[in-house]
Amino acid sequence: MSDGPKKIIKDITKGFAKHGYICSEQIATAVYLASELEKPILIEGPPGVGKTELANTAASYFKKDMIRLQCYEGLDESKALYEWRYGKQLLYTQILKEQMQEVLEGAKGLKESLDRLMKFEDIFFSEDFLETRPLLEALTSEKGSVLLIDEVDKSDEEFEALLLEILSEFQISIPELGVRKAEVKPLVVLTSNNSREIGDALKRRCLHLYIPFPDAKLERQIVKARVPEISESLQIQLVNFVQGIRELDLKKQPAISETIDWAKTVILLNSDELDTKLAEDTLNILLKHQQDIEVVKKEIPALVSSATETSDGKSLN
Amino acid sequence: MEKVLTDFVKALRNSNVRVSPAETLDAVAVIDTVGYEDKELLKKSLSVVLPKTPDEKEKFEICFEEFFSDEIKQQINVDSNKLSDIKDIDSDLAKKLLEGSQAELMLSIADAAEDAEIREIRYFTQRSVFTRRILEKMGVGKLEDELMSMGSTREEDFPSELEQELRNQLTNLRERVSDYVQQQFLLHGDVSGEQLREQVFKSMNMAQIDRSYLHEVHSLVRKMAKKLANLHSRRKKNFKRGKLDIRKTIRDNWVNQGVLFNLSWAYKKVDRPKIYVICDVSGSVGAYARFMLMFLFSLTEVVSKLRAFVFSSNLGEVTNDFKDSQLDEAIEKALQKHGGGSTDYGQALTEFVSLCLDEIDKKTTVVILGDARNNFGPDKANLMKSINERAKQVFWLNPEGKYRWDTGDSVMTTYSAYCTKVFQCGNIEQLERVISTLLKTAI
Repeated sequence: MSDGPKKIIKDITKGFAKHGYICSEQIATAVYLASELEKPILIEGPPGVGKTELANTAASYFKKDMIRLQCYEGLDESKALYEWRYGKQLLYTQILKEQMQEVLEGAKGLKESLDRLMKFEDIFFSEDFLETRPLLEALTSEKGSVLLIDEVDKSDEEFEALLLEILSEFQISIPELGVRKAEVKPLVVLTSNNSREIGDALKRRCLHLYIPFPDAKLERQIVKARVPEISESLQIQLVNFVQGIRELDLKKQPAISETIDWAKTVILLNSDELDTKLAEDTLNILLKHQQDIEVVKKEIPALVSSATETSDGKSLN
Repeated sequence: MEKVLTDFVKALRNSNVRVSPAETLDAVAVIDTVGYEDKELLKKSLSVVLPKTPDEKEKFEICFEEFFSDEIKQQINVDSNKLSDIKDIDSDLAKKLLEGSQAELMLSIADAAEDAEIREIRYFTQRSVFTRRILEKMGVGKLEDELMSMGSTREEDFPSELEQELRNQLTNLRERVSDYVQQQFLLHGDVSGEQLREQVFKSMNMAQIDRSYLHEVHSLVRKMAKKLANLHSRRKKNFKRGKLDIRKTIRDNWVNQGVLFNLSWAYKKVDRPKIYVICDVSGSVGAYARFMLMFLFSLTEVVSKLRAFVFSSNLGEVTNDFKDSQLDEAIEKALQKHGGGSTDYGQALTEFVSLCLDEIDKKTTVVILGDARNNFGPDKANLMKSINERAKQVFWLNPEGKYRWDTGDSVMTTYSAYCTKVFQCGNIEQLERVISTLLKTAI
């Protein structure tokens, strides 16, 4: 580590930007620490702020494979860790039966046959019959990987307990084969939407990053990076409008992904300025609940005027 | 430097951020990589390892700023040569102030603080007491006396250079000690005062809690409810193992060429409990009903069906009020609409039975909160009996002390014959215990 941490964090910010992910300094610091301390990061935040995207970008930035495990209720170790190829194992026992004749031919007495049987290589439980699932795959990957465990809060508590060994020791115990330890430790990213409280044991093992809704400046940068064809003034207006909406009391606040979708829509409609009608027509892209749309509809004129006003003020400076 | 970190962690714990020793070790590793030089970087880095919820992050921000504020008081340099008459002063403290170095002074403050048992500081109101105590231990009294006598004996109106200087140094010292106490308070004290308040609220009789504290009690209740919910939500996932599920076994074992290698069992999911609450909201018991409802409606996660009824003479259902509006409002509304008036348990039971006796089944728990003071009306205990026969269990919570049961118009014994369990439930702690039992047995 010849470079100071400050410089590396700057590099990460720049590198991520190149891959189209604009991150705040807090996010970059967390990524730096995760890779430096080899600890998993638990990312929390409202949906649509780019939690999953962060893992994707990290994978392409560190030039590692991306392995994703989507969590859901009922996810168990045979789907997350490994599974035996039962079919092949059964076939193997059948071949074995035939081979057995040859092996035991000419053996005198039970003792000698048993000795020969013991010498015979047993591969019933071996790597050959092991089907790797995402978690084991991430540990065995030779050039290292980024392991994304998406929406841990959706999984059961038993699964959380299963993760503990992997996250703290980077190893998996397979009863039949022993402990598999990672050669190259993967960068582990866990995301959670907080639909249930994550256990303290898991939290303790992870770095914790909370990604809130971005401020206007950051959001503008993100929109610019994701929708490069948008004009400067329109982009400012859109972001101001969305920031205004977030201050209202809504069931579901529009996230960054919605802002980006909205910006793309506005471009598609060939508009170069935000007005009341445009906002009303495209509101359903930003808001996903009828109640919310009704609340915001009343506020549209005020929101539009304040959004366009502040953008004029900005352009004067 | 580790001392600074452990002190900081202690301060964090005081402001209700939970930091485990393992996390402290993580923080040490973080500091090893990023160093202490850049404060902003340090803050961002530590905020990834120490606080683990958005709420804690906020507290961390405040605590960090307070703890690592780089305001260092400038020392007022004293040119002791100019003060020729320095030998005339007796006070040790004065000599220390004028001649000693900054470090020595800090050291003697720390010593005096140790003598004053600064570790015992708990509440922010104690800060001035401790400041005074430390100053006294350092010998401020003597210095002040001397300054007084210097002031009275001098002939001209202007204080001498020495006196002026001493006064300046003394003000400086006072500030410094009060800063030191503030810092120690962050380390040792109950900064938010929350622990004290929670303790008091928990053991206080619920009817005595002043209305102005309702908001805080509410957050306390929510915290306790969350704890219970966490405890019991796990329980509901315990499946009862049932019979062999042949269809699923065959389907799962296709991969084994139809050999039944892995057996699947039919599981029976354990249902979440249904709870029916009947609260007496007449004058004396109304306050208890408030907390009871507060608690139960904070538990919607673990209770599948909760219906609440309140009565004084006539019974009314309030379930929907609680679902639609804020808890505080709903409680106010319920108390206003149904509260007051004379209690009639017989009437209330009649109405409850006609309203929803059919819905009560073997998964239902009925909870009744009241003092069983029936104004000498008919008790209709036979209705209690029919409720008890249908329900899984019937709980009666009585806010009055046990010695008052069955005195005057109380008919507690009549009703308690038909209850699975009877509890005394006067303060929040007792309430928590009752609800924990309720959740444990209701499933």
